[in-house]
Amino acid sequence: MAEIARSAAYRRGVVGRTFGHLLDSEKVFGYVLVAPAIIYIIALIAYPFGIALWFTVTNATVGDPLGKFTGLDNLKAVLDDDVFRRALLNTFVFTLTSQALQMVLGTTLAFLLMRKFRFRRTIRALILLPFTIPVAIGAMAWNWMLNPTYSVINWVGEHLGLFQYGPNWLGEEKYAMVSIILVNVWRNLPFTAIVLMAGISAVPQEIIEAANLDGARFLTRYRKIMVPIIAPILYIALLFSLVFTFTDMTVVWLLTRGNPVNSTHVLASYAFLQGVVAGSLGRGATISLFLFPVLLIGALAMLRALKSRQLD
Amino acid sequence: MATTIAHVPTAPLRTRHSAAHRRNKVLKEIGFWGLLAVFIVFAAFPVYWMLITAFKQVNDLYNLQNNPFIFNLAPTLDQVRYLIDKTQYLTWVRNTLEVGLLVVAVTIVICVPAAYALSRTKFPGSGALGIGIFLTYLVPPTLLFLPLSQLVVGMGLVNTRWALVVVYPTFTIPFCTWLLMGFFKNVPREITEAARVDGCSRLGAMFRIVLPVSIPGLLTIAIFAFTLVMQEYVYALTFVSSTQEKMVTLGVVTDLVRGDVFFWGSLMAGALFVAVPVAIAYNFMMDTFVRGITGGALK
Repeated sequence: MAEIARSAAYRRGVVGRTFGHLLDSEKVFGYVLVAPAIIYIIALIAYPFGIALWFTVTNATVGDPLGKFTGLDNLKAVLDDDVFRRALLNTFVFTLTSQALQMVLGTTLAFLLMRKFRFRRTIRALILLPFTIPVAIGAMAWNWMLNPTYSVINWVGEHLGLFQYGPNWLGEEKYAMVSIILVNVWRNLPFTAIVLMAGISAVPQEIIEAANLDGARFLTRYRKIMVPIIAPILYIALLFSLVFTFTDMTVVWLLTRGNPVNSTHVLASYAFLQGVVAGSLGRGATISLFLFPVLLIGALAMLRALKSRQLD
Repeated sequence: MATTIAHVPTAPLRTRHSAAHRRNKVLKEIGFWGLLAVFIVFAAFPVYWMLITAFKQVNDLYNLQNNPFIFNLAPTLDQVRYLIDKTQYLTWVRNTLEVGLLVVAVTIVICVPAAYALSRTKFPGSGALGIGIFLTYLVPPTLLFLPLSQLVVGMGLVNTRWALVVVYPTFTIPFCTWLLMGFFKNVPREITEAARVDGCSRLGAMFRIVLPVSIPGLLTIAIFAFTLVMQEYVYALTFVSSTQEKMVTLGVVTDLVRGDVFFWGSLMAGALFVAVPVAIAYNFMMDTFVRGITGGALK
């Protein structure tokens, strides 16, 4: 009995030691630990991405997911589609406007929140709300606030005498786009501000004090001292916000579904309409593929900028 | 200040100076609070709006003569009751907790070793792999939802919440790995080197030295993974259509809209009950999150 137990323990020891010994090689250890993540990413990101590429050159539908090879037919059809061209333009307008507003407002907000003031924690919690609430829920709250009949914004405007009847925010082309951008800025502003705050507080206090003593004005201080130090974090924030914004369809889908008359679609929402609602996998995949090069260029630019900053 | 220096010969000048100074300070203070108030209203008003909508009587809510900012009739729980009794709200909450916790578990199991290897060891290709994983976060749901929907069909998970457990790590893994790498990098190398000299294996150093001091980091990514799951809408909308299987966010924004009729009160009530606890939890995690991404001290 004791002998068996001892030999079992011995065997366990050998196995454990061999395994441990193998893992003691830095190379093996590294590869083994990264493997699950890589396998998952290949199976559920790279492989589906390959399928998406296949869809773009076939007439695959939900009913017939294999489809037949049709070459560049999808691409031609998509490029000829007025709604698609409008969606492409909208995506850039939507992303760039939202991004610019977020950076400006986010910087302002970050500086406000850096100060010490009463009820700081409570106020910060209130300001973080849009980021912590599920996107879809925030968008629905705004949908209700922009309701053609019961809009609270219009109620205020009418009672202040700004206009007799408020605009139909989500039903008129130009206001619908403004609404979509507004809601997107609302949602991402806390994230941008928080990341910027993190960057600003990474600037050593002594440097700011030294600059103060030297009589540097606020803007000089910001441009010459803060920006170079927080730039790497600024870029990361910019990158994340860009990704969130450029590829998002939630806000558009829940506010307007691309209406009025398909004028407020972005690439993502139009891909959803074509690929999921209409079931044309080939057409949908072709539309969403237009998201990819822009993302890639943006990401590479950011990474390069990041590296060159670090080298300085 | 002014009174204590009143006997000094230059007092009048100083007093004038300090009065101007004080006025300046007051103006600055007003400007600060004014600006902050604008941001607070912008950020928090929609939530106040959800709150008041959720507890208003229907006659109050849809009466255009009423001041919409206040309760003109007594608050009511009717909308909440409708939400609980007449919809699958509790099922959706349970589905969300199930999917959320499973995704967090999968994420932790896959992310921790990967982030550890990428941040604390050097092996051929480690830099490229790190960047590769980082870049996969840029692949958006809206690029993958069509092929993934076919994959989900192939796995026999179509129209079930388990499809989401399989798919959600596609965005939690890249994000959390990247975040966690920042945490692990902050644990001084000397500590693990000392442990190694003392005969600790690499795996042992990870479990006994680095992970225990990285608990705030692990908590942060767990919360992050969970909230990313709660925020997600595109995959949930694409893969799940039957009411029984819905996540709470999707259920609230789809099942409380019947045709053109929006059940605004119940919709906002349902939205609020999800948003509030997450917002509170999140708020406590924010400092850890900020410390993590600034590369600040992780003691």
